[in-house]
Amino acid sequence: MSATSRAQTAANPVVRWLGKDNHGWLLIGYVILLVAVVWTVLPLYWVMISSLKPDADFYKMQDILWPSTFTIQHYVDMIFHSGFPINLRNSLVVALATTVVSTIVGSMAGYALVRLRFGGRKVFGRLLIYSYLAPGSILFIPIFGMMVALHLTNSLFGLGLTYLTFTVPFCTWMMMGYMQTVPVELEEAALVDGANRWTTLWRIVLPLTVPALVVVSVFSFTLSWNEFLYALVLVQNQSVMTAPVGLAFLQAGDVFFWGKIMAASIIMSVPPMVLYLFGQKWLVSGWTLGSVKG
Amino acid sequence: MSTIPAAQREATVLFQKSRNRDWQLGYLLILPAAVVIVGLIAYPFLYSIWMSLQVIRVGGVGRFVWFQNYASLLYGFNSGRFWNSVLVTVEYTVTAELGKFLIGIITALILHHSLKARGLFRTLLFIPWAVPAVVSAYTWRWMFDDRLGLWNTLLLGAGVIQSPVLWLSNIDLALWSVVAATVWQGTPFWTMTYLAGLQSIPSEIYEAAHVDGASSWQSFWSITMPNMVSVIIVTFMLSSIWTSNNLQYVYILTNGGPVNATETFPLLAYTIGMRDYNLGLAAAVPLLFFPVFAILIHFLSGRLLREGFEQ
Repeated sequence: MSATSRAQTAANPVVRWLGKDNHGWLLIGYVILLVAVVWTVLPLYWVMISSLKPDADFYKMQDILWPSTFTIQHYVDMIFHSGFPINLRNSLVVALATTVVSTIVGSMAGYALVRLRFGGRKVFGRLLIYSYLAPGSILFIPIFGMMVALHLTNSLFGLGLTYLTFTVPFCTWMMMGYMQTVPVELEEAALVDGANRWTTLWRIVLPLTVPALVVVSVFSFTLSWNEFLYALVLVQNQSVMTAPVGLAFLQAGDVFFWGKIMAASIIMSVPPMVLYLFGQKWLVSGWTLGSVKG
Repeated sequence: MSTIPAAQREATVLFQKSRNRDWQLGYLLILPAAVVIVGLIAYPFLYSIWMSLQVIRVGGVGRFVWFQNYASLLYGFNSGRFWNSVLVTVEYTVTAELGKFLIGIITALILHHSLKARGLFRTLLFIPWAVPAVVSAYTWRWMFDDRLGLWNTLLLGAGVIQSPVLWLSNIDLALWSVVAATVWQGTPFWTMTYLAGLQSIPSEIYEAAHVDGASSWQSFWSITMPNMVSVIIVTFMLSSIWTSNNLQYVYILTNGGPVNATETFPLLAYTIGMRDYNLGLAAAVPLLFFPVFAILIHFLSGRLLREGFEQ
């Protein structure tokens, strides 16, 4: 399949399987999309509205869809009168660290697997895939046991380590896929000119893989930021908690402070949303490199 | 040897020298990744098997009981709860996957067509992927609230129902409510993947078929579907592994209730391990599911490796 035809399809994605003049089907298509969008956006609208409703409104059976008064009290409470900012900071630290580490480690390992020949290469490749596919439910109990033994519970470092279990295989795999598309000739030219492999990796190959690096970073950050299970299992200390778990602790027994929970939800959704909106272009094109190749 | 030009001899020597350096550099480069894979994935996996053969509490010393934990889960004291979790997990995963598949493929097919505002639709529809699962779980929990939740408000207001629906506390309804939340969040991944797959089918094929007089239906079944089969299968398998391992939704929406109606096996393992502190038994639960995953992983890895290792 040539690169040009793929580019052509992407730029002009007319799937004529619907027929050129089939306006009837087109209309149905629009309707379905509209329904899908409403279904997608309605919960988000609900979060937004609920976060701006005063507490008293939550016990009235009126003004449910559109509050009569708006308030930012919940946001004020969450930002200034709670431990949530600390949780946000913790999430940020872990997510950034994990992203940086796994991007570097993944690039290195991906390059080695794609360009270099060494014994055990295929075995390592296989182990890599198994790691990528390893079900998290099997790992969380033994990892918990290990972290307790290593005194790494209630620590961001320990948490970051566990996140590497899913970010590193993923990053390696993605970088591998993308690096394969970098023409070998460029490196060979550099090698003939006297550069060594290490230099070609950092100076030639990596700069050409920027789209993949963006995808990998966005994915790693988002996965780490959103992660819940390990954060719940490994950290009980409130000042070390990450945002997802901090959110879960906003209920006092049976009472849910929905206004606060919704406000906190919005706040903690901002970073991944920003990353998503910002990196959209790359994400869609980089999707083919990952788990499923087109 | 004198007939071989000097440059070629030199190239051979250089090549052999670089071959050896390849090994050194190769191992150096994969070392960090290898440490993660061996230390944080392979070792815990083996450790988990080791734990499952003992009765062991947090920070305590284990007592070897061989297969007692497994016996207890399969036909002993804990078997009722275990087999319930098997059933719940299967129902949960299959329904969620079907939902995501259907919505995903239909949406992708529509998005693939050149419609106005395609970009806007795409941006909006993919948002749930970026939303943290915790956030969507709490959002849906709030939407499912009996008295003040969005769904009951809308349905009651429209006169569709007379009394509030107990989305999360009704035994027959609870699991499907959880599925709804899972589908809401998980579908964008499928849509994105299918869209990427669709975009890789060159348009010339369609045009050629059109010229040959093929109808839309024919093009769909003989061009689109065969090309998508591999994408669909791989996504199905991957997503099944991830969905069945999902803990957030059941934990936050229903916490396994009512009466274990939504207790999937990860939640069961979590409850046994983190609340009852019985780590050995907890480790055995996911391991019993492992054979199924192993088959999926074997098939998937074969596929991915073939596509990934072209050299």
